[in-house]
Amino acid sequence: MKQVWKTGLTVLTYGLAIAYFFPIFLMFITGFKTERDAFHMPPTLFFHPTLVNYENVFNSGIAAFMGNSLIAAFGSTIVSLLLGAPVAYALAIYKPKKGDDIFFWFISTKILPPVGVIIPIYLLFKNLGLLDSLTGLILLYTGMNTPTVVWMMRSFFSDIPYEVIEACQVDGATGLQAVFRVIIPLVKPGLISTGLLCMVFAWNEFFLAVNISYTNSATLPVLVSSFMTSEGLFWAKLSAVSTVAVLPALILGWFTQKQLVRGLTMGAVKG
Amino acid sequence: MNTETIRVHAESSRQADQSQNRKRTAAKRGTPTLTDRNKRNKQDKLAKRLMLPGIIVTAVITQIPFLGTLFYSFFNWNIMRPDLGMRFNGIGNFVTILEAPEFYTVLENTVILTVASLLICLVLGMFLALLLNRDFFGKGFLRTLIISPFFIMPAVSGVLWKNMIFNPMFGLLAWMFKSVGLPPVDLAANHPLSLVIYIVTWEWTPFFMLVLLAGLQSVPGEIIESSMLDGATRVQQFFHIIIPHLMRYIEVAVFLGLVFILSTFGEIYVATQGGPGYASTNLSYYVFREQIQNSQYGLASAIAVIIVILSVACMTLLFRTLRKQFGGTLA
Repeated sequence: MKQVWKTGLTVLTYGLAIAYFFPIFLMFITGFKTERDAFHMPPTLFFHPTLVNYENVFNSGIAAFMGNSLIAAFGSTIVSLLLGAPVAYALAIYKPKKGDDIFFWFISTKILPPVGVIIPIYLLFKNLGLLDSLTGLILLYTGMNTPTVVWMMRSFFSDIPYEVIEACQVDGATGLQAVFRVIIPLVKPGLISTGLLCMVFAWNEFFLAVNISYTNSATLPVLVSSFMTSEGLFWAKLSAVSTVAVLPALILGWFTQKQLVRGLTMGAVKG
Repeated sequence: MNTETIRVHAESSRQADQSQNRKRTAAKRGTPTLTDRNKRNKQDKLAKRLMLPGIIVTAVITQIPFLGTLFYSFFNWNIMRPDLGMRFNGIGNFVTILEAPEFYTVLENTVILTVASLLICLVLGMFLALLLNRDFFGKGFLRTLIISPFFIMPAVSGVLWKNMIFNPMFGLLAWMFKSVGLPPVDLAANHPLSLVIYIVTWEWTPFFMLVLLAGLQSVPGEIIESSMLDGATRVQQFFHIIIPHLMRYIEVAVFLGLVFILSTFGEIYVATQGGPGYASTNLSYYVFREQIQNSQYGLASAIAVIIVILSVACMTLLFRTLRKQFGGTLA
């Protein structure tokens, strides 16, 4: 009886997991269908896969949007790590006066919704010539991601035993040597997953992108939404575009799922 | 099992947690060199130098512009009418908004969207976490499948759900309804807000699941065992030991969920355009409408200020408990 109950729960788990993933799967296979097949109900699993949608998509200039997304995500992540990791390090290792206040201030910057600042930013960028530029986008994403880096990295740095740092000093390592030879290797997994998560956030960001970029610096989410309004009924093509747009973030996300929780629950979880 | 023993178990679980934390901090503080005052000062200086760039950049990008928003909110300024210029309007914009009936629709939408999504995410996430917190074949793979929606960009989730699933003519759901003889429902036209809630919960339940699963895995095994010896049922265990243990995880998840769900934008932009009428406009989208569609910069700024006041007020509450929970144990 107990065995039956257990198997039942496992089957239920499988069912729910498949249900959660189904829309993504549907999008993925629809991208390989012809427009005719795409509208067939129920969706067919067996069809002649075609690459024509992907050809169309790549011929219609998605590369530029992808490049923009890539530069904005990558650029802002690098800058955020350079700015945020030292803060997290200082908070975790030196435990400065008011360290807790500073840490919570960083988290609290997330409380302010982006709409609260969009108008001055829009006007300021317009005056500075940053509107519709990747520099502007990178700048905004840096502001968005630096608190995330501090938030997540603090917990990874706190795991370094103080003795390790002392040992470095005793051995006569200079500050920089200690950081690059000892500390960075120790927090590497955390650093990588934090970076990947920042990239995912920047890659998927929509509000700022749609408000300050149009032609030169529009990112993939902006492209997808414009498809939605202008070519809403070309499902196969839409699916191909969407698949291309989500795949990088999805794959990066899969790699970070474990560290993600640990960093965001403020190190309450070790694992 | 009487409530008294349950309470004892819960209490000892908490104490075990705390003493562990204390030990951790003690181990870190234990070295005598750290107490040296000169060294302390030097380290504080070094810490300051390390932190300053990050603090300045974050403040300049995320906080200072809000002062600009506050400034514009007192002006009448329609960018489509440059001849009128920027005219000081006192609190006129705020009065206009507070008197507009649609503001209350939008406010109500925002509250419904946020609260409903958070509740659904919490309950479903808990359920999924409990299911995944068992041993069975393919566990890791299923977790990966479930977490996937969290990494899908909002613009794409909107497209996906609106077109392929909820499309009243060709969507999957319409087909399912028809095949059992029911008329298809046009969710985007008739229940636009539930469409948005649907999409948002699909995206956020996985995150709640992930956090709660981590919490479940950190429940100390001895406590569960000893409560079992005392004859606690599964349900009693869940409500008196597991839930109290999970509180801090729930808080973090709700806080993060609130931050992101309150400013939901992409899903609405793509799936419903805030309509019909104002039926699925939330506060974030309302600002966008006033600013981009109506070019009312002053008015849009005033709405943004109201949003900020409301969200800061409601989140400070949560944030305080969060801080109380974690402030002491930030080792």
